[in-house]
Amino acid sequence: MSNLHLKSVEELAPLIESKQLSPVELTKEILKFAHESQPVINSYIEFYDDEALADAKKAETEIANGNYKGMYHGIPLALKDNLYFKDKVTTMASKIHKDFKSDADATVVEKLREAGVVFTGKLSMHEYAWGITNNNPHYGPVRNPWDTTKIPGGSSGGSGAAVAAGASVASLGTDTAGSIRIPSSICGIVGLKPTHGRVSKFGCYPLAWSLDHIGPMTKTVKDAAAMLEIIAGFDHRDPTAVNLPVDNYVNQLTGDVKDLVIGVNEDYFFKQVDTDVEKAVRKAIDLLVSKGAKVEVVSIPSLQYAEWAELVTSLSEASAIHHSDLKTRPQDFGDDIRLLFELGELPSAVDYLQAQQVRRQLKAEFTEIYKKVDVLIAPTLPVVANDIGDDLVDLNGERVDLINNIIRFTGPGNLTGLPALSVPVGFKGNLPIGLQVIGPAFQEGKVLNVGYAIEQFNLMENRKPNILVAK
Amino acid sequence: MLSLTVEQLLVSKGISPKKEHLEILEARWKEMADLRGNLDGIKIDDADIALKNIAGGDHVE
Repeated sequence: MSNLHLKSVEELAPLIESKQLSPVELTKEILKFAHESQPVINSYIEFYDDEALADAKKAETEIANGNYKGMYHGIPLALKDNLYFKDKVTTMASKIHKDFKSDADATVVEKLREAGVVFTGKLSMHEYAWGITNNNPHYGPVRNPWDTTKIPGGSSGGSGAAVAAGASVASLGTDTAGSIRIPSSICGIVGLKPTHGRVSKFGCYPLAWSLDHIGPMTKTVKDAAAMLEIIAGFDHRDPTAVNLPVDNYVNQLTGDVKDLVIGVNEDYFFKQVDTDVEKAVRKAIDLLVSKGAKVEVVSIPSLQYAEWAELVTSLSEASAIHHSDLKTRPQDFGDDIRLLFELGELPSAVDYLQAQQVRRQLKAEFTEIYKKVDVLIAPTLPVVANDIGDDLVDLNGERVDLINNIIRFTGPGNLTGLPALSVPVGFKGNLPIGLQVIGPAFQEGKVLNVGYAIEQFNLMENRKPNILVAK
Repeated sequence: MLSLTVEQLLVSKGISPKKEHLEILEARWKEMADLRGNLDGIKIDDADIALKNIAGGDHVE
């Protein structure tokens, strides 16, 4: 079979279940492509070739014996390198943790392993997940498969680049200010930040405890829904885990949006947006309306303080985690994150607590609007990918700060903990554009179904990055 | 009134910032203050906070 690396889980799973495709053949193909693409996109930090082939053989035997476990059985995946694998090195893409080994799997790793996933390795990321460029001083920059002079976004940039290119069939990312949705938008894939507490964070190295999330990064919405079914659920070992039953998310993908009420917030989520990005997002909304959805304009006044609250909370929590190393071995951090850790030492306790007051107010306002609308739709980002090494980005002819602008629309999802999905909705030139669906707490099924409906419009026109030809 | 510079504040915590970071830190800190404003647009005085204190452990079960 050709171009297996470009196929989604939903395309591969029936072939594996019906024994037309062996997990061993698939894993060999993915590993081959991952190694070939490594000099071009640099998405992996470590390959698990031998273990992957052994696990693929195990999956093949299980399936041959009639023990097919579900959609992800025998599917090769690589994960972000801040998720612990028992007795394996997890680097956080840092120098300080370059030899760190965990004595337990992360809960998400354990769950994927039980579902029959084959792990092909660990993917690069922004150092300690504290940035959005993936321009890593210790492991080199990850490159965007659509244009290798551009960033893949971050911090889960290795996951975004690997999934878009085909070096991993799907992946997991972590998201503190947008780190799943940013690379998903920039690399043209699907990324879901579930509700805070929906997926256990046990065994994930923290960036900022109260804002961190783990979620799927996939080629399709159905792949994300199926992965969420596997990784969601209560876990005593995560103090923020919430004990609610896990839905069947795949079954909720009907594509039916008749009478769906879409909330649009013009004052914040459509302010200072690249005109091509705005056009693509509004086109997708219009298409949903053509299928029976309705639009209601909503106001969320506290969003004016969201950027400040996100910065104070994330900077303070991250600096608390790294305080000791910042005092004793600051030279071992990359320059960009050292600067952020220094900045995070500056807010006062009052600043931090006022930021938490803002968060609560913001949550209250979102809760109120969800009495009137089913979901909010916004651009995932106000911009598309920019050049590697450039701290400024073009926004309608103006050069603006990259970091502050790129997290503007994703940060509120972390502050409120609400589920937020990025789905690709077109291109500016050859660079993908993402649309964000933000839903009520624990209603990932509803959010995913809106993404699924958008996916049916084929706004990406079946285009795929072809990095090996581009090279 | 005593007013600490960014450098003095960091040094008082045992942190030695890179000299070339100081100007950037001052600028970023000012940007954050501008983003915050005076929080006039939000009723913050009597607002609760988004933190929990669950007695007996991490979860209520």
